[in-house]
Order: sequence, then structure tokens, then C-alpha cells
Amino acid sequence: MKGTTLGERWWRRLAIAPGIPLPQRRLFLLPTRFGLGWALLLLLLLLFGINYQNTLAYVLAFWLFGLGAVALLRTWHNLLGVTPTLRLPREVFAGGEARLGVVLAGGRPRTALELHAGDASARIDLPEGQGEAILALPAPVRGEQRLPLLRLETRWPLGLVRTLAWLESDERMLVYPRPLDDDEPQHRHAGEGLEATDFTGLRRAQPGDSPARLAWKQWSRTGVLAAKAFSLPPRQQLWLDYDACRGDSERRLSLLCARVLAHHRAGDRYGLRLPGVTLPQGEGPHQRRQALAALARFSPSGERGGGR
Amino acid sequence: MKRRMTGRVGGEAVLADGQALSGVMLRQLFLGQCLVLALHLSWMPAWLAAIAALVAGYRYLQLRRRLGRAGVLLRLAGVGALTGGLWLHYGTLGQMEAIIGLLLGVYLLKLLETHSRRDGRVVVAIGLVATSVAFLHDQGIPMAAGGLVVLAWLVHSLVWLSGGDSRRAWRESAWLLMLSAPLMLMLFAVFPRLGPLWNLPQADRASTGLTDEIAPGDIAQLSRSDARAFRARFDGLEPAPAERYWRVYTLSDFDGERWRRTTPEHLAATLGRPLDAFVAEGRRSTWLDEAPRFEVELLLEPDSRPWRPSLGAPLTTDEPQRFLADGTLEGTSPLASRSLLRMGSTGLAPANPDPAGSAWHALLPAEGNPRTRELAERLWRESGGEPRAFLAAIMARFGEAPFRYTLSPPRLTSADRVDEFLFESRAGYCTHYASAMTVLSRGAGLPARVVAGFLGGERHPDGHFTLRDYDAHAWVEVWLDGAWQRIDPTAAIAPERIEQGALAVADGREAFLADAPFSPLRLREVGWVNRLRLDWERMEYRWQRGVIGYQREARNALMTRVTARLYALWDWLVGLAPGRGWLGGVLGLLMAASGTAGFAALLRLAWRHHREARDEALRIHRLQHWLARRGLGPRPGESPSAHLRRVADEVAEAGPSLRDCAHHLERLRYASLGREERRERTRQLSRRVAEVRRRLRRLPRRQGGSARRQGGSAGADGVAS
Repeated sequence: MKGTTLGERWWRRLAIAPGIPLPQRRLFLLPTRFGLGWALLLLLLLLFGINYQNTLAYVLAFWLFGLGAVALLRTWHNLLGVTPTLRLPREVFAGGEARLGVVLAGGRPRTALELHAGDASARIDLPEGQGEAILALPAPVRGEQRLPLLRLETRWPLGLVRTLAWLESDERMLVYPRPLDDDEPQHRHAGEGLEATDFTGLRRAQPGDSPARLAWKQWSRTGVLAAKAFSLPPRQQLWLDYDACRGDSERRLSLLCARVLAHHRAGDRYGLRLPGVTLPQGEGPHQRRQALAALARFSPSGERGGGR
Repeated sequence: MKRRMTGRVGGEAVLADGQALSGVMLRQLFLGQCLVLALHLSWMPAWLAAIAALVAGYRYLQLRRRLGRAGVLLRLAGVGALTGGLWLHYGTLGQMEAIIGLLLGVYLLKLLETHSRRDGRVVVAIGLVATSVAFLHDQGIPMAAGGLVVLAWLVHSLVWLSGGDSRRAWRESAWLLMLSAPLMLMLFAVFPRLGPLWNLPQADRASTGLTDEIAPGDIAQLSRSDARAFRARFDGLEPAPAERYWRVYTLSDFDGERWRRTTPEHLAATLGRPLDAFVAEGRRSTWLDEAPRFEVELLLEPDSRPWRPSLGAPLTTDEPQRFLADGTLEGTSPLASRSLLRMGSTGLAPANPDPAGSAWHALLPAEGNPRTRELAERLWRESGGEPRAFLAAIMARFGEAPFRYTLSPPRLTSADRVDEFLFESRAGYCTHYASAMTVLSRGAGLPARVVAGFLGGERHPDGHFTLRDYDAHAWVEVWLDGAWQRIDPTAAIAPERIEQGALAVADGREAFLADAPFSPLRLREVGWVNRLRLDWERMEYRWQRGVIGYQREARNALMTRVTARLYALWDWLVGLAPGRGWLGGVLGLLMAASGTAGFAALLRLAWRHHREARDEALRIHRLQHWLARRGLGPRPGESPSAHLRRVADEVAEAGPSLRDCAHHLERLRYASLGREERRERTRQLSRRVAEVRRRLRRLPRRQGGSARRQGGSAGADGVAS
């Protein structure tokens, strides 16, 4: 996300929020370089027609003018009424890329819509009036971040003019710290490698069960498909502590982030202690999400970074 | 920069990297080049097609990854070969054809370095210029149709370059062309026509038809061709078949073998007199002062010489022309393209004496043709020095056997050609007889000259005449009784040539149209072919006159008519209004405009209501939009009734109405209702919707931002909420 330049601030004033169809008065028409060239071409052909008193050259020049005028309308019409909705990326770690989904609903077929945000861009056709473009935004730092100003534009059909609309969303994107594996061995992968191995009995098979765990023998005997159930070995219960890590605050957060991911993979129960924030011990995706969010929102001065 | 191509990949204009043009797009551009080249190829060297093929072959191999991109050297070599070829072909690069060739060649070579969308657009733009230049060659119906095809193809290329697939691009191009056509027609009609702003090199035209120098034998060459010389349409009186003598040149300089035309410049220099004694430029003839008998509109074919035919002596024209003292006409410049010329003329040989003098017109070489001179003196003596009797004697002599009229006479080879014709071969056509008669007249001291021009022409059912090369003719003018008199010796020997035209001459038919083996004129005996040919020629004539001839005058006339109509309308409005004056007119106009606008608005409203009354989903959809503008929009994936119920909880004042709306909507959509109940519920629904709008009207309209607070994206919930 780049710093706001003067131009960008100006465009933000003209931006609209996603979720509603693009209205007439927030669509802007600008000629492209080819459009200016087209004007020159018209002039050339017209002069040609005048100087050679050539009627068909006149006709061609006028027709090209008409094409330009109609293309203006068609370009505008190509973007008018498109409803953009944002689909925020599920997880973003600092240093990676945030894959922002922009769902475009056009109602009628649209062609060659372009999305730009900073250096990222995407191009999409909506032959059935619906589609989603993915913008790969860079996410250099952790924390809650504003979405960049999005530019939705189209040059279709002739490329003479471009119609553009600016999109700005109030939504925030949460960027988790960059995971950094600790080099100290005693902390590494504390619960990893543990798998449910002790056979405890059979249960009714469910869709999604691994074929390796299906009880094929029982099936051939009884005709009922069952799955073998295993119990997990006892898991670790532990606390991830900010104060126990070394390094500056960002490094500590990165280490904690990597550990949260590792413990989650291993299925451990873990809690998180940050200065001013304590997340009780827990497990599962919810715990992981909360822990990562707390890390992302944490501000080292000691206050809570926001949110919950 | 990362791009993701979400659309269909097949048929895309660019490759997956989003930059380089795909093979199908290059093929599209190449076919466009071929079409443009096809417009030119009848007039341009054929090896340009070889350049196109070579360039395309190179690109094909390159796309197959066997060759690298064309380097600077290769491209320079291409341009060098092109320039060299054109220089060899034309001998110069300053000529119009060479310049056109250069443009075409660069256009074809450009494909070598066409890699991105931008390059593709440049190629299309050059193609449009080249198409326009093709209209310099010709502006007929086939060329216009070809131009239309090229335009459609190039527009399709442009659309395809901008995105989408080929089929969608075709549909869009059709829309673009159709929507822009009315605009084009309007501009064509109203755009002021200006004269040429500066001089540009003109395309050199092969001279067709008459030359200004004839020897007996030349005009028979013309009878071998069916090329069109010009077309004419008379306003009012049409000349009888025997009067259709179109004068082009007078030939007064005889060297014993050939008759030559002397230009005014040549005459002025030879006789040591000022140029304006022989030629005057303007719209009226200064040599003759009488009322025109024939008013004619000529549609002239392009020619490198500025000749203009006239029926008899020209009197008036609509554009300034050079009126020559011998009663012929010249344009101020050669015609690069077809053009119209209106003219009034006498239909007779000119009555004014030639300023070159009668001695000039009685001049014969000092020696040669002795038997002819002797015959002239004998006939003069026998007719008792009476010029009319003398001329009648010559005509009578031609009318007798063994003189015959043939299009393929034996060749005359001796130095005394007139002697050879008059006393040995005695077979020939108009040139032989006109030349012999003039020599005889001059031999007797009568001033005489040969006139070269056209006789007859084909009259089309719609009244216009087509004059072709085989209608070329030569006759004699003799100075008698203070005026030039037209005397046509061919009338004595082959009257059917005068009355029925060149096609009626039976003798020597094998020479007729010999150079036009596929001419449709050969099939004029076959009824339906002839009808088709006449229909096509009529259409072509109308096209040329109407569209091509739409220059200054025609445009001004049309605009005058349109403004007259507008004034009439204005007067009618002024008459309609009570105030009876200028202010009344404005008021009336305003009233009419507001009336029309109001009516249109009413119609629109009625249409909306009609549609909504039939379709409850549309009504609810509009209500949802209305709510969305006030920050109460639906969430993604939320059904309409769920949305209304949720909003009902949020805004208490419209809660019950909104819940009713949702209920009615669900019943209407999903319950099986009788017709009565359906109608009742629809009515209820519309009432509730109106209620909601009334109650929530005071909610401020909000732009987007706050609406998002209400909405929120389902996909984002996991992270953001």
C-alpha cells in the first residue's frame, strides 16, 4: 500500500463504495493515447478528402468520427451499472501477497473490465454478467490496513477512451505478522509429528474419510462401510509468551506467529500472553484465528491494538 | 505486474502473458492487410502481394519458434527492398503511384514488428489511411463495397484487440457500424464542402479515348475498346441521333500524313499573337453570344488530359473552363477523379471565325498527294467555283462504288496516303474520309479542318447517354458563308453509322471490340444479359452522379431545402402561437418542447408501472435498490424477503410495511394462488411498497461508505468481523 499522493487523495473524493451499481455521475471518461491518435487520423483523412475532392474519403472520415462518438457511449455503457463487491483475503501474512477478490456483477455481458490497485492489475470478461477478478496486492507490514483505492476501468470496444470509476472500501484487511521459525531447538515443533495411532474401534464411515482408514474387511463381510477410529495421544498444553521471546517486538511477534501455526498444526492446546492481552488456552481454527488476530493487532506500546 | 486472465482464453487477442499478440490476432491483422491490398491491386504493382506473403511467412515461422524477432537489419532491408522495387518500377519516387506504393509497403512491413496491442492498433490505423488512399483510384460501387468490407474488418480487429473473443467482437462491430452510420450520413450531408486547400501530387491517369493527333488508322484502334469515355444527361431538349456530334478537338495542322491539333499556346507562338486571342477562361464563351440550345450534365471519366466534350460549340459552364477560339473546351486541369460538368451548347459547328485566319485553315504541305490536288482542282472547276456544289461533288464521289466503309481497311504505306486511299484502296472509315475531304477542300482553297470527337452514344432507358471509345468519330468543318459548317463524309458512305451508331456497321466487325473479349456489350443480343448490363450501368450512373457528385452545389441545394423546411416550420409555429410574433414563436417552441418531454416522461412512467405491475420481483428489486441508496442495501447472498425483514428490524417506522412486503412477495412467488388472489396480493404489495417509500423518504441518501457498514462481505467475515 503506497503512501497517499495528492492525486490519490483527490481521486478518493470521487470514489464510491463497493456494493452498489456504479452510478452515472461517478463514471469518468478520458481519452487514451490511441484516442488522440484517432482524432489526428480523422483530421488527416478529412484533409485528404478535401484536397483530393474525394467523396469516399469524406465518407470514411465521417464514419470514423461516428465510430469514435459511438465508442464513447459504448465504453461508458460497458461500465455503467456494474456492481463490484469485495471478497477480502482469508489470511494474509506480512511479506506475502493479499489476494483480494473483486466480484463483479454486470447484469448483462461486459467485456474487458480492468481492475487496478497500485501496481497490481487484473482483467476480466463477464460473458454471463458475473465474474470474479483476483488482485494480488502486496502486504509488507502486519496490522489492520485500509484497502487500497481500486480503479475499475474499461477501454472496450475500440480503445479510444477509457471509462473509469474509483472504488474505496471502509473495510480493513488484517495482515498477520510474518511467521519466523525459531532457531532454538527446544521450542521447535513441540507437538508436531503426533498422529492419532491407537486403534479404539469402528465407527460409521462418513464422506471424507481417508480410504486408508476405511475398514474394507468389515465391508466385505457385512456390507456396511465403517471407518477405523483412532485416539489421539495426549497433547501438550502450553502458553506462548511474549516475554519469553527474544528480539525486538516485531521479531517476537513473528516468532509467536510461527509457533501458533506450528501448534495448531500439531493440534496442541495453547494460550497466548502478550503485554496487556491474554488469550486463554484453547484449540482449533477459532483459537488459531484469535491468536493470529491478537498478534496482528498488538501494538508494542502496551495498549491493545484494537478489535476485541 | 501480475495479471490473471479470468475470461475465456480461446480466441483471445493476446497470449497468456497479457502482452504479446496471439497467432489468431496476427492472422486477423494479416487478412486485413490482404483486404486493403486487394482494393489497390488493380492499379498497383502485383509484387506488393509477394511482400505481404513474405512478411506473413516470416511471422508464421517466428510464431512456430523457429526464428527470433525481426531485427533492425531485417526491417531496414525490407524497407530498402521496397524503395528499390518502387524506384525500378516507376523510375521515380515522387510520383503519386510510387508514394501510394511506399505507404502500402510500409503498411505490409509493419507486421514484422507488430507484437503488442499498441502495434496492432497502429497497423489498423495505417490500414484505414491506405483504404482512404484506395479511393483515389476509383470511387465506383465495387470500390465502395470493398471499402465497407475493409472498414468492417478493421473495426472488428480493433474491437478484438480491446478484449473479448472474436464472436463478441463481430457483434460489437456490427453495432458500432450501424449506430455510427446515421451520424456519418448526417455529417456527410451538412459538412461544408471546401475547395482543395493546397496542391498535392495527383495520380497519373492513363489517357483513354481520343488523342490530339490522328493519322488515318488511329480511330479504328478506339473501336476495339469498350472503355467508357463519358456520360451525359440532357435537361430539356435531347438531340436527334444525327445531331449527336460531340466535339473534342479540331485538327488543323496537316503534314501530309497526320493531322495534328495546335494548342492555343502553340498557335500564339507560331503566329506571334497574344495567347488571349485564342483562349479565354471563364464560365461563358467570349467567342459566341447566343442562347444555348442544349443543356447537358456530363459525368467525365478521369483522364490525364484536360479535354472536355461539348455538343456543338460550348457556350456556358458551371465551373470556370478554358474556352478555345475553335469552339472547343478544355478544363483548367486534368481530372484525377470522375467529376460532373454542366454545360450549355449550340449543337452546331461554331459560327465565329477562327482567329488563326482562313489562310491557316487552307494550308497544305508544299508537296505530296499530287493526284488529290489535281482531283480537287478538277472538281472545283467542274462545280464552277461554287463551294456547295464542290462539296456535294466530293460527297457524291464518296457515295459511289467502289468506296466502302470498313473498320479493318488495308494499311496505307506510301508517303502520299491520301492519294493511296482515294485512288487505290478506296476502303476506310471516318478518319480516312474526313482526312481526304479536308485535303480536297484545302486543295481547292476552301478553309477546312478535321474535328475529332464522338458520335452517337448509347441511350439508356432512364435517359442518360453513355459514350464509349468505339463511339469516337472524325468529321469535317468547312468555312462557308461566314460560319463553320459541319460536313460528315461518313454519312455519304455509311449512313447507318450516323443513325444507329458504331455497332450498326457491318463491315470489318472482327475489329470491333477486338480488345475487349469479355465485354458485356458483345452479348447485347441476349435480352436478359443486356437488361442486366443496362440496370447495372444505370445504378452505377446514379451512384456516380448522386454520391460522388455530391460536391458543393448539390450540398448547398440540399441545405437550402432543409433550411427552407425549418423556416416553414418556424412560420407555422409562429402562426400557431397566440402572440403572433417572434416571442410567440419562442413560446410556442418551448410549449411544444415541454409538451413532448412531458408526454415522453408520462410514457416512460406508464411503461414502468406496467412492467412493475406484471412482475413483483422487479418491483421488489427496485425497492431494494432504493433502500441500498439509503444505506440499507442487501448483503451478498441475502434473499429479497430476508433483506426486507432485516431492514424491518432496523427501521421501526417502516417495519410492518416491510414485513408485509416480504410476506406478499413470498406468497406471490411460491404459493399457488388463484387469479383473484394474485391480483389482490399484487395490489397490496404495490401499496405496501409505496408506504415504505413514504415512511423512509426522510432517510438521508448516502453514498456507499456507510452502506458498507450495514452490508459487509460474507467472504470477509472470517477475518474482519
